[in-house]
Amino acid sequence: MKAIFIVFNQANTERVEYMLDRIGIRGFTWWENVQGRGSVAGEPRKGTHTWPEMNSAVITVVPDEKTDEILARVKKIDEVNEEVGIKAFVWNIEALV
Amino acid sequence: MSIYKSAVQKPITTAMVFVAVIVMGLYSALQLPIDLYPEIEPPYISVMTMYPGASAADIEVNVTKLIEDGLASVDKLKEILSSSYDNMSVVTLEFQWEANLDVAVSDVRNALDWVIDALPDNVDRPTVFKFNSSMMPIAMYAITAGSSYSGLERIVDEKLVNVLNRIDGIGSISLAGAPQRVVYVDINQSKMDAYNLTIEQIGNVIASENLNLPSGNVKMGTENYQLRVEGEFAESSEIKNLLVGNYAGKSVYLKDVASVRDTIKDLSLDQRVNGYSGLTMVISKQSGANTVKIAKQVRAELEKAKKTLPPDIAINEVFDSSTFIQSSVNNLTETLLYALIFVILVVLVFLGRWRATLIIALTIPLSLICAFIYLMFTGNSLNIISLSSLSIAIGMVVDDAIVVLENITRHVERGSSPRESAIYATNEVWLSVIATTLVIVAVFLPLTMVSGMTGVLFKQLGWIVTITILASAVAAITITPMLSSKLLKIRTAEQKASRFGYERTVGKWLGGLDNWYGNLLGWCLHHKKVVIAIVLLIFVSSLFLLKYVKTDYMPQTDQSQISVMIELQTGTRVEETMKTIRSFEELAKEKYPEIELISSSAGSNDDGGIGALFNTNGTNISNTTFRLVDIDERTRSVFEIADDMRKYLKEYPEIINYNVSTSDAGLGAGGNDIQVEIFGYDFDKSNTVAHAIRDSIATLKGAENIQISRKNDRPELQIKFDKEKLTQHGLSGAMVSTFVRNRVDGLIASKLREEGEEYDIIVRLEENSRNSISKLEEMTLTTPVGKQIKLRELGKVMEYWSPPNIEHKRKERIVTVSTTPVGVALGELAVDIQAKINKIEIPSELIVRVGGAYEDQQESFMNLGMLLIMSLILVFIVMASQFESLSNPFVIMFSIPFAFSGSFLALYLTNTTLNLIAALGMVLLVGIVVKNGIVLVDYTNLMRDRGMHLNDAIKAAGRSRLRPVLMTSMTTILGMLPMALSTGEGSEIWSPMGISVIGGLTFSMTITLIIIPVMYAVVSKSGERDKISKIRKRFHFMDDASNGKSN
Repeated sequence: MKAIFIVFNQANTERVEYMLDRIGIRGFTWWENVQGRGSVAGEPRKGTHTWPEMNSAVITVVPDEKTDEILARVKKIDEVNEEVGIKAFVWNIEALV
Repeated sequence: MSIYKSAVQKPITTAMVFVAVIVMGLYSALQLPIDLYPEIEPPYISVMTMYPGASAADIEVNVTKLIEDGLASVDKLKEILSSSYDNMSVVTLEFQWEANLDVAVSDVRNALDWVIDALPDNVDRPTVFKFNSSMMPIAMYAITAGSSYSGLERIVDEKLVNVLNRIDGIGSISLAGAPQRVVYVDINQSKMDAYNLTIEQIGNVIASENLNLPSGNVKMGTENYQLRVEGEFAESSEIKNLLVGNYAGKSVYLKDVASVRDTIKDLSLDQRVNGYSGLTMVISKQSGANTVKIAKQVRAELEKAKKTLPPDIAINEVFDSSTFIQSSVNNLTETLLYALIFVILVVLVFLGRWRATLIIALTIPLSLICAFIYLMFTGNSLNIISLSSLSIAIGMVVDDAIVVLENITRHVERGSSPRESAIYATNEVWLSVIATTLVIVAVFLPLTMVSGMTGVLFKQLGWIVTITILASAVAAITITPMLSSKLLKIRTAEQKASRFGYERTVGKWLGGLDNWYGNLLGWCLHHKKVVIAIVLLIFVSSLFLLKYVKTDYMPQTDQSQISVMIELQTGTRVEETMKTIRSFEELAKEKYPEIELISSSAGSNDDGGIGALFNTNGTNISNTTFRLVDIDERTRSVFEIADDMRKYLKEYPEIINYNVSTSDAGLGAGGNDIQVEIFGYDFDKSNTVAHAIRDSIATLKGAENIQISRKNDRPELQIKFDKEKLTQHGLSGAMVSTFVRNRVDGLIASKLREEGEEYDIIVRLEENSRNSISKLEEMTLTTPVGKQIKLRELGKVMEYWSPPNIEHKRKERIVTVSTTPVGVALGELAVDIQAKINKIEIPSELIVRVGGAYEDQQESFMNLGMLLIMSLILVFIVMASQFESLSNPFVIMFSIPFAFSGSFLALYLTNTTLNLIAALGMVLLVGIVVKNGIVLVDYTNLMRDRGMHLNDAIKAAGRSRLRPVLMTSMTTILGMLPMALSTGEGSEIWSPMGISVIGGLTFSMTITLIIIPVMYAVVSKSGERDKISKIRKRFHFMDDASNGKSN
């Protein structure tokens, strides 16, 4: 099992929602309105007058085989326009109840 | 959930809400009455008191003065004016504008109750009269007749007045100049003396013969009969055969001493239309009724009624205010449509997208329609002020939508879906949309608090613009994102741009403009001192223009109507006055083919009454109205024609005074006149000064229609009694005056009844027995013991001169010399007049001051000054809180002085006077021009906060914001352009505002684009917005020593 954490510009909300449905992921946890800044070129998302945009984030725990599919789709979303911004991080799940 | 998110997620609900608003707006628009101006209730109350038989001087002392004293302490009274005429006193109270007139009326009545006891015995009860603009007649018709002239009154009454009265909303219909049928019994003085009769005896005989009396019941058989004596005259010819007395055993019939004439009343008012004799029918509406609708119905009814009238009776329209209203409203609607087209074109040129343009264009009707709902709920009408306000607002209501749409488009072009872009892009800008809206509101809302006559104009403008702008802001954050989410499309990878496509033509050109402006800013930022010096020079030199821009009060409108008052030597008979009028009419018809209708009246209705308040009349005075064809059908304006008429009137030797006026009493009643007020008790001294002032004003260029309010002394015959002889004969002054009145004015003995109508039977001496002083002295009176005595035995008839009217202001006698400025500015002429007055020697007991419209002008400009200061403060407050800074608003406000420079320049170039409306435009500019500054400074701040250096940020902001600034300015400018250029009916009022706003905005926009970035650079310090380094200083302790040094 892997945990995938996706952070994305709110403008991508519908695409992320669609992606999760499309792949058939049922369980996730969603944060609306989170702040952040890209490591390389990504602009800050702070919801202020200077940086008015905001991010949302979703974490989902999926079987190992679905990880690549998700990452591939995230990459496709990112390719539409990199300025808008979407990132995905994957790590292992040790145990769950 | 935020409002814009809901709007996007529930498009049907959003659409339905706006459909509901539109339906309500359209319903209101259809229900709204159409009128020229908002209904005005001027704060005036008049108290009219009749005292039959008293001269003006008697009235002044015994009536006017008492009433003035009694009313002086009424609440909220501003000014007290009075005129004392023969037989009548009129006291006019001017209240403060905020006073409640209903309360004032009851206060006045209460105060009058105290005064009434002190008034002389035979004074009639004073009537209290409240003015309202809806009392002004809405239409006037002239009805002329040939052979049926003598029966005209009855025909008109039956066939027209009765029919018209049934129309809903008609207030009153009054007839003037109608021929009245009377039966005159003209008695020969010497014959009456010979048969030993008196007028009173003859009168009694006529009255007692002309009776129908019930005389009881008679029972005959089974029936019961009423018994009646039928003595009433069936026709007037019976009268002459009445037996009036016996002399030396022979019967004396009325025909032996008198002649009986069944005729129309002696002429004292001559009413002519296009030279034909006739009467005028004046129609006024009920308060709140729809003028246009009523006038339409009146016309239709008249058309129907025409068929039932005898063929020689013609109905002519003298004026119909609905035609002027209708054409003004049509003209404004056209203006509004042009504005709409221009605004949409501007948006299309700058955005280059049909769908985006459609979304923005939709906000225009949406926000404007809210104004109709406001008008409906406040009981207002669709008038030229409300429509002009809409045309002022039209260029501004798109601004908010443009800002929102622009941001949404940016997101869409980045590849986001329209739905999400709509939500998140609106989220990013909605606060600044509200802020810029508040700036506009800060300027327009204070307008609603102005009181007075100007307040009437400004109140609707203030409310309408505030409401439409607020509505546009709401629409911008609801329906604009909603429509964007539905209509905008993601542009798929650079569609093939066609050769003449937007991107290759206009878009390319605009891109070039952005770059050019960016480079220009770069140069300016390196030469700040030079730029500031040049700009300052421009501003200072524009102030010199002020010398050439003339000040004025209210713009005059061409209403296709000229009124001419002509005064001949006092005491001239009506017949003579008529002759002069006829000759002038002939001349006018020949010289001015533009004339469509001439309606004139000479003399006065002897009944006096309310009409006397509005018009001066007398046998030597005539009032003529010329109606011209529509504006587009002639080349000369009424002002030119009026000017020309004055030239001809000067050439008539018998005309001692004339007044040619082009303004209808409407807004700014009292017109554009300058009044020199001369206070002083002594008639001779104040008259001398008044004439001296008139003569000196007459030498000034542009001073026309010079009038002195106190009319020339009038010849008067007075009977001076020998008191001793009166008592010897057992007579009193009152008895003798009744006798004299019966003989000269006539005794109404009885009434002749015919077909349900009643006509007076008047007994009096024939004209030959009462047309000279000696004949008057030959009049025979009867003493209580029945002895006959001649008037000359009781006293003498002597000739005197007396003033026909005495006017008071603040309870003091006043004479005013008034003049209308023609071709010169009001302010300028007032200054010249003051200079002339200073040279005239004025007795120390007189006070002379310059007032009238000049005074109103000063007061209104003071009001506007206050308004300007208030707007500046409010705008500063809004901006300071938006930027959370005191220096930024200061920088932005640098654009305001250049707006004024631009206005002056535009006024100078178009040769327009700086009148109240143009000045109002300049106040409005405060809100309009700072918007540009806000956009620029806001974006510069943003760029700096994002880490750009000062100069780079300024340049980047300039380049990026040039289009929005140009776009919003152009929509406002082009939105007002049709108004500024319009030449149709009623356009004169608002075009000065259009001119001053367009000039100010264009000029200020150009300068703003340069000076604001430069001033921003001057006021700001590089790095002051660099928050990172500031924070770094606070948390210095976290860094280790080596790191800290290197940074």
